[in-house]
Amino acid sequence: MADQNKPNVDEEFYNEVLSPTQLFAARSRTHKIPVRGQKDFVPDESEDQQQRLEQSLREHWSLLSEERVERTGNLVKALWIPEDHVVELQSPAGKFWQTMGFSSEGRQFLHPEEALYLMECGNVQVFYQDLPFSIQDGYEHFLSSSSVSLQQYQVFGHLKRLGYVVLRFDSSSETTSYVRRLNLPSARERAAKQLKRKRSPSPEEASTSQTCSHVKSHTEESGKDGNLPDVPLREISEDQTTSMSPAEEGRVRSWWTPHPPMDSDHGRPYSSSSRWDFSSIWFPDVGSGGAQQEAPDPSLLPGSVSVGYCDTAPWSQRVNLRAVKMSPKEQRTEPKDVNEDMEVRRCRNWSEYEALRSRRASEREQQAADHLWSGEVTPLHDPHQPISTVELLEKISIIRSTDLLQDTSSLQPWPPWTITFNVYQPDTVCDFKKSRPGKPHCRMCVCSFDDPVPDLRALKVLSRQSGEDVPVVVAVVDYGDISFYTFKDFHLPRDVFS
Amino acid sequence: MATEVVEKPGEEAPPTGKVGTRFDLEKETELRFEVEAGEAAEQVELELISGMAEVFGSELNRNKKYTFGPGSKIAVFTWQGCSVNLFGKPEVAYVSKDTPMLLYLNTHAALEQMRKQAERENERGPRVMVVGPTDVGKSTVCRVLLNYAVRVGRRPTLVELDVGQNGVSVPGTLSALCIERPADVEEGFSVQAPLVYHFGSTTPGTNIKLYNKLTSCLAEVFSRRCEVNRKASVGGCIINTCGWVKGSGYQALVHCASTFQVDVVLVLDQERLYNELKRDLPHFVRVVLLPKSGGVAERSKKCRRDAREEKIREYFYGFRGLSFYPFSFEVRFSDIRIYKIGAPSIPDSCLPLGMSQDDTQLKLVPVTPGRDLTYHVLSVSSIEDGEEGARKGIVEAPVCGFIVVTFVDTQTQMMKVLSPAPRPLPRHTLLIMDIRFMDMK
Repeated sequence: MADQNKPNVDEEFYNEVLSPTQLFAARSRTHKIPVRGQKDFVPDESEDQQQRLEQSLREHWSLLSEERVERTGNLVKALWIPEDHVVELQSPAGKFWQTMGFSSEGRQFLHPEEALYLMECGNVQVFYQDLPFSIQDGYEHFLSSSSVSLQQYQVFGHLKRLGYVVLRFDSSSETTSYVRRLNLPSARERAAKQLKRKRSPSPEEASTSQTCSHVKSHTEESGKDGNLPDVPLREISEDQTTSMSPAEEGRVRSWWTPHPPMDSDHGRPYSSSSRWDFSSIWFPDVGSGGAQQEAPDPSLLPGSVSVGYCDTAPWSQRVNLRAVKMSPKEQRTEPKDVNEDMEVRRCRNWSEYEALRSRRASEREQQAADHLWSGEVTPLHDPHQPISTVELLEKISIIRSTDLLQDTSSLQPWPPWTITFNVYQPDTVCDFKKSRPGKPHCRMCVCSFDDPVPDLRALKVLSRQSGEDVPVVVAVVDYGDISFYTFKDFHLPRDVFS
Repeated sequence: MATEVVEKPGEEAPPTGKVGTRFDLEKETELRFEVEAGEAAEQVELELISGMAEVFGSELNRNKKYTFGPGSKIAVFTWQGCSVNLFGKPEVAYVSKDTPMLLYLNTHAALEQMRKQAERENERGPRVMVVGPTDVGKSTVCRVLLNYAVRVGRRPTLVELDVGQNGVSVPGTLSALCIERPADVEEGFSVQAPLVYHFGSTTPGTNIKLYNKLTSCLAEVFSRRCEVNRKASVGGCIINTCGWVKGSGYQALVHCASTFQVDVVLVLDQERLYNELKRDLPHFVRVVLLPKSGGVAERSKKCRRDAREEKIREYFYGFRGLSFYPFSFEVRFSDIRIYKIGAPSIPDSCLPLGMSQDDTQLKLVPVTPGRDLTYHVLSVSSIEDGEEGARKGIVEAPVCGFIVVTFVDTQTQMMKVLSPAPRPLPRHTLLIMDIRFMDMK
């Protein structure tokens, strides 16, 4: 790693001044980053692959070893203060001050990641114990797990290079009011009226170490469904079983079930016996062969009618005995006598018969999938029960929609999943005020490619930290590559029935 | 055949000046006569001179002339023997000894036994379904049984499920009527406050789902009535059915038996139907095979159509077109909503998931008034289709009356209707029937 060092204090070694030829050479150097080409996934031991890898490696090393040439006057001097983990500016800040750094007690500071980024850009030279830092020194000193990790810096640098304004996010409790102020819609307008840049030391701001930076970046956001609350299955199946019985009853004629009040008055159940004794009530049934019957009791007959015995025998051959020709469609498929069934024979009236039939029908329907209902967990709906689409959708929606912000109040912050940066869009840079940055475009959570995919709880914690309507983007760092993911709330289509 | 015909030279001089024919009937015989059909046909008058006689269960008064119009087919039966006079020229008149009236009377006796038991035990009375192919005298048997029942002081209910030849209301309807007095010999049962449901066609086959649905509706209403009215409950009901006894028609009969929870099924003159019903109905239902009367004549298609038309005419103009005076007035299209029950069937594959064809058969389809509406009979529903929820109710709601469209003017968006009551229409929801009526007489 080569730095362009500037003569500063005593050390002549760093006071290197280039000759004109060297300067020309530096200017005419190609600034192209070598193309990486296609990835090789598995070493195939071939000479060809070996060569390609070596070539690529060489190119990278030469890129890294290249010396940077900067104008001395352009470099802002700064001092590394390891105790506070900040870099204090020693000379007037450049344009970057609009989006980076902060002032405290009249002094101007940079956060370490900002200082490192500006060093890499060739805007700042940082000294420590009167010696200038190389960029490598910067990486070693500024980045630590307690302040900003390498991965976080990679994301920071990436976004900055893309033009975004990147500030540190602070979720500590004493700044909730501050965060709320950020979200005020009028905050930016009021900030716009405040023409004079606020430089006076503000203890609040000092404590809320915020990072300003300005980056240009493009976020790749891949939407994913984040709504997976677990509703207990048991509850649903219980609903199912309880709702089944009334539906079964509904199949029987319901207007028969309530007995007329007189039945109960009489103290005998409606279905106690087969009501009519047809062995004593004689019908002149021609179908059952010839039979003679004495004249009926005159009290049963109207008026003064009196008749003799009745004989059905002469009629039995005079009814229509023809077999009726039936089309196959009219032919019944089940020529079995219902009364051969002993259970049917036991029924004494229509109510019992209908109950038996509906029971049979439901049994028959369920036979095919009986095992599904035998266990503790049963299907959500019996397909044989008629139900409207609306009700069915209600019934099967065990995975209920939830908002990411719903029920988050009890969730505690969860260390691995924290928001690191607030990101503002590049097009806001011109009126950007560090003191009133307004509502961020999104908030950035940095994680490694090796980390697990955040679960719903992690997402909820993140959403809670972020607050309303600022999306949280997860930056996944895979060594040099950074990809961005976001989880979005969306509603499953429910207008099927509306 | 002990028929003794005595020519009377008309010395009693009926005011019409018609020639009278005297018939002396032995006991348990019947005089059958038919009056010629057609516009020009002469009416026939009947007079009981001595003894006792009845027409389909209704007793005749002595020395009272009963008039029968064209197309009438009458049987005068006597249990004790009688003499009657016929005036005019019947197409055919003969005395027959061969009548199943004794079987019908015994059937009545059995039903009456059941009613007595029901009365004793505080139960519901017998529910009887009369089934059989066409032209076997189902309606007549119903009439006989109802007359006998009401003559012994019962209040039976006639449930008329024959949409083609409805004995209570206009064709294309299902109806129920509480019988409180014997049928008038000439006019039949007096129709007072019947319960009528719109079906819309003369055969159940056009919409069997709707037919079964309405059967269930009638059964429900009847059962509710039985719960509050002891007399109606003991009286039971007699259900007259269609002559369609195959395929879906047969299924409709079985459905009817189960919704009404019938106790007795009377099968007229078809052993096959008798055997099938015995097989398909549970054992506690008594299925009885009865012969048809030899006097039953087969009716031609035209004859049925004429009977239907006559029934509609009777609705508007009263019996023989004499007693009622209908109104004719104009109705704006915008004031009414016309529906047809049952959407045209579409293949199952085109239906939305979870929807079956049943739904479309009971659906209300709005009808745009047009010239083709002319002469159609419209039922006036007793429910208004105010909100969407009432839509479903319209199908299952009874109707409060009928109107006939006599003229449609699409220019002025008006139609002229024939209505039994003066304007305005009591309700604005109308259901269209397939049946048309041309007011030609």
